Amino acid sequence: MSSLLEPEAIEVMERSNKDPDQFSGTLTDEEKREIDEEAAHYEGKSSVGLEALRIVQKHRGWISDSSLQAIANYLEIPVAQLEGVATYFQLIFRQPVGKEVIYLCKSASCWIMGCDQLQKHISQRLQIEPGQTSADGIFTLLETPCLGDCDKAPVLMLGDEMYRNLDESAIDALIEKKKQVHADKSSH
Amino acid sequence: MPTITIDGEKYQVDGDQNLLSSCLTLGLNVPYFCWHPEMGSVGACRQCAMIEYKDSEDQSGRLIMSCMTPVRDGGIYSVNAETAKEFRGSIIEDLMTNHPHDCPVCEEGGECHLQDMTEMSGHTMRRYRGTKRTHRNQYLGPFINHEMNRCITCYRCTRFYNDYAGGNDLQALGRNHQVYFGRQQEGRLQNGFSGNLVEVCPTGVFTDKTFSAHFVRKWDLQTAPSICEHCAVGCNTAPGARESGNGHDPMLRRITNLYHHDINGYFLCDRGRFGYEYVNSPTRIDQVLSARNEELIGSTADTKDQLHRQVNPRDGVLHLSVQITAAQRKLRRIIGIGSPRASLENNYALRQLVGLDNFFSGLNRLDQHLLQLVNNIHSDNRITSPNTPEIETADAILIIGEDIYNTAPRIALAVRQAARNRQKKQAQDLKIPLWQDTSVRQLEGDPSPIIFIGTEFTELTDIATTTLFESPERVTLFTQALTQEISKSSKQSTEISPEFQKEVNHTAEILLKATNPLIISGISSRHLDTLNAVANLARVLSNHRKVPTKLYLNCGEVNSLGMIQLFNEKEGSLEQLMESLSVSDKEIPTSLIVLENDLYRRLDTPSVEKLLSLVDEVILIDTLLTPTAKRANWIFPASTTAESQGTYVNNNGLAQRFYAVYEGKGYIQESWRWLVDAVDFCTEKSENYSVLRSWKHSTDLSDALAREIYTLKVLAEIGPNEDFRIDGLKVARQSARYSGRTAIHAQQHVSETPPIKDPDAPMNFSMEGIHNPNKTQLQANIWSPGWNSNQSIFKFQQQVGGERKGGPSGKYIEFSQHSTQDSNVSEETSVKPTETSNNLQMLPIYRLFGSEELSNQSMSFSEVIEAPFILMHPDEISQYDTQEGELVDIETNCGNYRAEIKGSNTIPHGCIGVPFGLPGLESLAPQIPGYASLRPAVTPAISEEQ
Repeated sequence: MSSLLEPEAIEVMERSNKDPDQFSGTLTDEEKREIDEEAAHYEGKSSVGLEALRIVQKHRGWISDSSLQAIANYLEIPVAQLEGVATYFQLIFRQPVGKEVIYLCKSASCWIMGCDQLQKHISQRLQIEPGQTSADGIFTLLETPCLGDCDKAPVLMLGDEMYRNLDESAIDALIEKKKQVHADKSSH
Repeated sequence: MPTITIDGEKYQVDGDQNLLSSCLTLGLNVPYFCWHPEMGSVGACRQCAMIEYKDSEDQSGRLIMSCMTPVRDGGIYSVNAETAKEFRGSIIEDLMTNHPHDCPVCEEGGECHLQDMTEMSGHTMRRYRGTKRTHRNQYLGPFINHEMNRCITCYRCTRFYNDYAGGNDLQALGRNHQVYFGRQQEGRLQNGFSGNLVEVCPTGVFTDKTFSAHFVRKWDLQTAPSICEHCAVGCNTAPGARESGNGHDPMLRRITNLYHHDINGYFLCDRGRFGYEYVNSPTRIDQVLSARNEELIGSTADTKDQLHRQVNPRDGVLHLSVQITAAQRKLRRIIGIGSPRASLENNYALRQLVGLDNFFSGLNRLDQHLLQLVNNIHSDNRITSPNTPEIETADAILIIGEDIYNTAPRIALAVRQAARNRQKKQAQDLKIPLWQDTSVRQLEGDPSPIIFIGTEFTELTDIATTTLFESPERVTLFTQALTQEISKSSKQSTEISPEFQKEVNHTAEILLKATNPLIISGISSRHLDTLNAVANLARVLSNHRKVPTKLYLNCGEVNSLGMIQLFNEKEGSLEQLMESLSVSDKEIPTSLIVLENDLYRRLDTPSVEKLLSLVDEVILIDTLLTPTAKRANWIFPASTTAESQGTYVNNNGLAQRFYAVYEGKGYIQESWRWLVDAVDFCTEKSENYSVLRSWKHSTDLSDALAREIYTLKVLAEIGPNEDFRIDGLKVARQSARYSGRTAIHAQQHVSETPPIKDPDAPMNFSMEGIHNPNKTQLQANIWSPGWNSNQSIFKFQQQVGGERKGGPSGKYIEFSQHSTQDSNVSEETSVKPTETSNNLQMLPIYRLFGSEELSNQSMSFSEVIEAPFILMHPDEISQYDTQEGELVDIETNCGNYRAEIKGSNTIPHGCIGVPFGLPGLESLAPQIPGYASLRPAVTPAISEEQ
């Protein structure tokens, strides 16, 4: 119940600039090429704000203040307008996120089927609250509105994959599996 | 007109309005948030729900949003139906779930639209017990406070700021119940109309930061109708004042908009809203000061600055009267210098005292001639001056040499609305009502043509269809070529390149095709040829179209056009005064009375020095310690606009009366009262002085002006005189809830001090009297039962967005009508300096913050006024062994200045843009258009080089 009735302090924009921004204030040629490609479908460059954010995020993992400014400069639109787009869409990150972003569905069906319990479980296991990233930098937990799989509730989305009919053990298995994947990657 | 039924009553309403504004026009109370009379409807907040019935048989009806519903002839509606009330109750309860319970510490409290609507919707009990959503606030600059927790997400702020005013740095961020209205990064809101957010926001998200520094509740403010003195547009304002709680002097607390249908409507610019603080500034004069006659040693000895001491006002008046008596006996000559920032009454009193022969305008020759030319143009019956609604409906606008955003800001806002006229036309063709804001704004189509030619076109380039950045000479050439093109005159100018001719032809085509064309220009480019060319263009266009041409001319200062009425053609400039002084009898000593004017802003410094050296004594009556004040032998404290009554004439020729909002502090009084007081002390008898002695009320002067000066005869009719009464009572400046009356001076005196008498206006400096004179022009406290916020203005309008119930304040002065003069090029046109080493032509550029004398002294402006700078084309900067951002020394015939050099592509080659009146460069302004030379700044500083 708590999350439905007790909204937390809202972080619409980047919390601060404490995270060192490793990206420069200019777009790479590759990013520019992809944006131009997308812009070719529209009347003007200013129409591809969302696509440009998506492209830059693909390369950089998230959209920092300087990335945002770089895109706005490139598209020749006010940066505030682009920020409006960036903060509207949940899949555009204005803070750094982990390598795996867990979208836990919090809509009515999943709520009935106990997503609150699952969220507590994830939080306990990874020591993170919704919106936070685990200490090892692998997992970020986010809540999401309906993912459209209500008949298989509770569900979550991780990467491009849906995970359905979840319980605590299924979540444990998923987390272990992903940890393993990243452990393998870093050992190579 | 459609007839509709609301709750069983039949009404006739305006079919062009939506149901909500029709209800409001009828005086019915329907709550709303997102609708705004000027910005139309978007149907976002759902608060204005009403019931519409199919027919008289229909018992249940259906819910409709009244702001989104056109009135239907024969329609049956209900505001009071139970279902509608219940729906509105649930909406307000929902909006209030996240709204903090901070009304007691919120500066909107007491004039909060959200409070009013919550009351009106009957939401008196909170059921929500959860945590409220909270936000971090941003620093938005020195003018505006940000408190996002109070937001109810009506979107009015971004709709005003972005859609209406053209800003781009305030945005709705986030979504759902997390929507945040702010900037991408903290920082000052860049748009010059940001102050309107304070009034547009229905609650306390955006509040006036300058007011915050000396806040009191609305009901504790003393108000009166006033006129903004920071440019020549003549916006109506409602300043509020109150004494400090501990018995200190009363002070001006804030400025809010006062609706005037023909001028400012619902909105003011930031210079007008926040520039008031000069009234309370440390440089304010509130005592009579006299220069000590001592030999000075040390640092001030060279500068000829005077050291002043306070004297008893009586001594000052006595001194003045001695001089006047001497003048009467022909033992002394008294010369008066008036001012375009002083009221007509003050200027007239001085003229009356010294006589027309000894009265000068305080303008240099160029400004004087420019203003007289404007005056002549107004006299031409082929030319009319459009008001704001007329500007907003123009379908083609040509702006010549006037950076209106910086010189007449409210007009720039009107021009921005005109850019949408093709869109609006398309909406009308598609039968979309114009109040359907989103639908109309989504229509595609070319913007209405707006063509600019001149030096700078700030904040409007996004709506301009053509912008030509040219030197004043080329602007003149363009205008002349355009005139020839329209008149189909055969003589072609040879100086014009084919590309330039193409622009001319294009512009001519647009002007001729338009059904409602408009030309905007003014004196700001300080170029007589341009102004003459503009006038000819307007005449030719009128000949061609057989209707008067709409020509808006900016005159620069609040009473420029009024003051010029007091002078004969080609008389009154400071140069003429100098000539007259240099040939006058040296045996007779001369006193110079300077009225609310800083001569160092009018003439170059050596000329002022020369002028002051030609007189024996300088007597200044002014509000601020200006450079002229430092040279004065006697200084008398004058009252500012908010502390006095008088008349200003705006750019349209509209004479408007302003009333004293409060009594002021110290010994300040209207300038004319100092003169009349001095005459009262005179022993000499004369007919002229008995006229002056007879003046007891401000309106006595207005009436005398009306009798004496033909063009100003409307002054007798522009407002109720001092003896006007409603039911035998004056109008109260204080609200019925004004608190602390018996306590506020208690530590000085146990008895309640009687209110100060106002000899000028039919208004009291107290709460006694008529509180709601809504049928007069004296209404300034915009308040109505249940409507504590300024939204209550509709209660004082004949219909929503229409004229005030008290009628339009002000009357147009009568320019003598003639149409004979077709060309009146003055011979003094060319102000070409002889010295050849100075090769850069100076062009005036203007800044919203920094170009106006009085507002520059406002505390909050210090943060936004730029440091001294000049503009130059980036290609040319390197030729002067410097680069952008570096300091340079500017050398003119009259002095040296140091400023930062900035690049600007709009400045023509061979020219530099000089910010007019910017602190540090004030004395450069009168040298424009002259020439300067430039070199990189080297230490030691300039002063030691001389």
